[in-house]
Amino acid sequence: MAETAATEAFGQGTESRRGFLTILTGAASAVAAGAVLWPLVDALNPDAQSESRARMVVNVADIAENTAKTVQWNGLPIYIRKLTAQQIAAAQAVVTDTLPDPADFTARVNAAYQNYVVVVGLNTGITCALEGNDPSDPRGDYDGWLCPCDGSQYDALGRVRSGPATKNLAIPRFTFINAAQIRLG
Amino acid sequence: MTTETKQIPCLGALCACLCAPVHKPEGKYLDTLPGLTAILLAFLTLSGLVLAVYYDPWHAFASVGFIGHEVNNGWLVQAYHATGATALFGLVYLYLFRAMLTRGYRAPGELVWGLGVKLMAVLLLVGWLGFVLTGGAAAYWSLFKASNGALALSGAAGAIGGWFFGGPAGSGTLARLELFHAVLAVGAMAVLWLLFAARRAVVPRAEPGQGVAFFPYYLAQYLVALAVFALIFSVLAFFTPHLGQPAVNALPADPLTLPLGTVLPWYLLPLAGIAQALPGIWGGILGVVGALAVLAALPWLDRSGPAGAKGGLYCVFTWVLAADVIGLGITAAARNYPQASLLLVLFTFWYFFHFLVLTPFVTAIEAK
Amino acid sequence: MRRFFAPLLALGLAVAGNARAEDTLSPLHFQSDGPLGSIDKAAAQRGFLVYQTVCAACHSANALHYRDLEALGLTPDQMAGVAAGVKLADGSAATLDSPFKDPAMPASAFGGALPPDLSSIAAQRPGGAQYIYALLTGYATAPDGVTMLPGHFYNKAFPGEQVAMPPVLRDNAVTYADGTAATQSQEAADVAEFLTWAADPNLSTRHQIGLRAVIFFAFLGIVAVISKRRIWREGR
Ligand code: HEC
Repeated sequence: MAETAATEAFGQGTESRRGFLTILTGAASAVAAGAVLWPLVDALNPDAQSESRARMVVNVADIAENTAKTVQWNGLPIYIRKLTAQQIAAAQAVVTDTLPDPADFTARVNAAYQNYVVVVGLNTGITCALEGNDPSDPRGDYDGWLCPCDGSQYDALGRVRSGPATKNLAIPRFTFINAAQIRLG
Repeated sequence: MTTETKQIPCLGALCACLCAPVHKPEGKYLDTLPGLTAILLAFLTLSGLVLAVYYDPWHAFASVGFIGHEVNNGWLVQAYHATGATALFGLVYLYLFRAMLTRGYRAPGELVWGLGVKLMAVLLLVGWLGFVLTGGAAAYWSLFKASNGALALSGAAGAIGGWFFGGPAGSGTLARLELFHAVLAVGAMAVLWLLFAARRAVVPRAEPGQGVAFFPYYLAQYLVALAVFALIFSVLAFFTPHLGQPAVNALPADPLTLPLGTVLPWYLLPLAGIAQALPGIWGGILGVVGALAVLAALPWLDRSGPAGAKGGLYCVFTWVLAADVIGLGITAAARNYPQASLLLVLFTFWYFFHFLVLTPFVTAIEAK
Repeated sequence: MRRFFAPLLALGLAVAGNARAEDTLSPLHFQSDGPLGSIDKAAAQRGFLVYQTVCAACHSANALHYRDLEALGLTPDQMAGVAAGVKLADGSAATLDSPFKDPAMPASAFGGALPPDLSSIAAQRPGGAQYIYALLTGYATAPDGVTMLPGHFYNKAFPGEQVAMPPVLRDNAVTYADGTAATQSQEAADVAEFLTWAADPNLSTRHQIGLRAVIFFAFLGIVAVISKRRIWREGR
């Protein structure tokens, strides 16, 4: 169908007495061919399942204070941690200029839901999953996360506090749907 | 235009071929059937490729459901492919039936006819494989019977069956059948290409100065044929997407329950009827092979010779044969009454009787 | 917080905007019937409520996800609320991407008659929505002389007339937020429309595109015939 329509269009330059009607037929055929073939192209776009995996919804209502939950998202471990009031106060009190990778409180949490920290739980030095999600885990000196591989330490907001890592934990793209659920991606 | 054609020699050749006034000026719409078949085969290939992206032979039924529910326009691609199969058999059966009515199979058309029958045979296999790939209850049982039957054969036939199915039907079987489905579909395109080549050689050319070119005359005709075809296709695809498919195939396969009712898509039913009418596995195989063989042998069974008169009686018998084939299909579809087996035998008998006895005699008598 | 524990409320919000159900019961008909039928979203939403409150205790519908409810007109927030109200087998709450919860009935629960998955039951049973309606409203006391199998109920619509599914629908089994009277037959009709949607979620789109395609190709056919005639006439 596409082929014949293309041939039709191609022949427009030849001298002939085909009028408006012929052009209309050719154009309508081309439109039809496009409309018929488009679904085949569109079917290769991300399907509903991978779309929804890529924009995963996580329930955060069941996270206890001072613990973090791990979810796998796009192949990354995402740590979602619920802060206690003291941790929020302590994190706000830190003088950011002295940090290896300065970032203040508001840059690390969502303004409306300040008690949730969402980070990629991979050390920024050697790639290695961090410890410290559970209150009983080793958390280092800053009440955050500790890298079991190179000893880098992060605070509760995921800011690097002592090396060898030099960068804060990455924050994935996410939005709060409501107080109980966040959408990653 | 002219400079272009000089710079790009292929384009020049194509243009010359499209614009050469060699065709007879009285084209019939039904002459576009092989062309439509080719376009439809290409369309089926495209939609099949898209389905293959998501289809998982190890979880066939679930992945078919996934395509319908989760893939963008997946339901539409499925409707394209399923209705495409229905339309393809519609075209091929119509093409062959028309050749029988017009007796286009006689010399010099024997080769074209033979290739047409071959095309149908390959497509029947491709169609059955595609049906089996759905993994529904009907598909499962069809595969189960076919593979068990094939494996039960002794000697070379059993070895071929074993090679084809790779042992008793299991979850891995569909992986190879998916491959065969695709490879044989390409084979069908090759046969169709041969058919075009053979047809080109025998179609009478126009007298010099009398002919018309493909472009724009036959192109305009093709567009009409395509538009009508697309209209019928849309009605089928959008309003009866499961037309001619066994309803039980909507159920997941259950190895413990044999589905009741029709278990094959419509285009396989006449042949299945012949296979069921004859006893045993060998009876079924011989029935199918024989039915295709006598069809392919039609140019030689017709004794009227190339110039013989077109007989009215034989024409009537050809219509009776069409009714017989439809009867075979209907009876094979609804086998739940006691006379069905007898009817199948009668219809099968008539099918072979038509080709092996009626055709030579009636044509020979009418040619005199 | 109230919201995630009250999925029904979320649904209530969703349907509140819709008008009262039109009378689909006398005579029984479904908006999804016929070649140009479309899914009655309000009815299907009510049907989902019935499914979720009543049927989901025994039947899975694992081809459906909570996110699919968007097609019935629920907002992401409402869908999230519905999902969060569902407790999965491991104790966690369902998410939008979870398939409808499988109650995982043991095979012994109904004397071996496992409740079938309802995702495409409307396509799998001859009669579709009509059959489901007839089944759900077809319970009666067994006529004299019929010996009932243990654990079975007499049902006029079921092939064999003895079904292992108990009569589960009764008047006011659910409360509809749109004010529709939740009679037993209304519930049955609504859940039948919901299951029709579940089995063929693209029904409305299919019919809509189909109609356009047919009109367009009819137009194209006419134009093509005229222009073919003209080309052939001019050429001769
Ligand atoms: C108490 C558990 C239970 C509940 C609740 C329940 N069902 Fe069933 N259902 C069953 C069982 C068990 C079967 C299998 C019946 C059989 O095969 O005899 C069944 C079978 C069915 C069937 C298939 C009938 C057939 O033709 O094979 C449908 C349709 C159905 N149920 C719909 C529903 C709907 C709709 C609801 C909600 C209104 C519902 N069920 C609620 C237990 C249940």
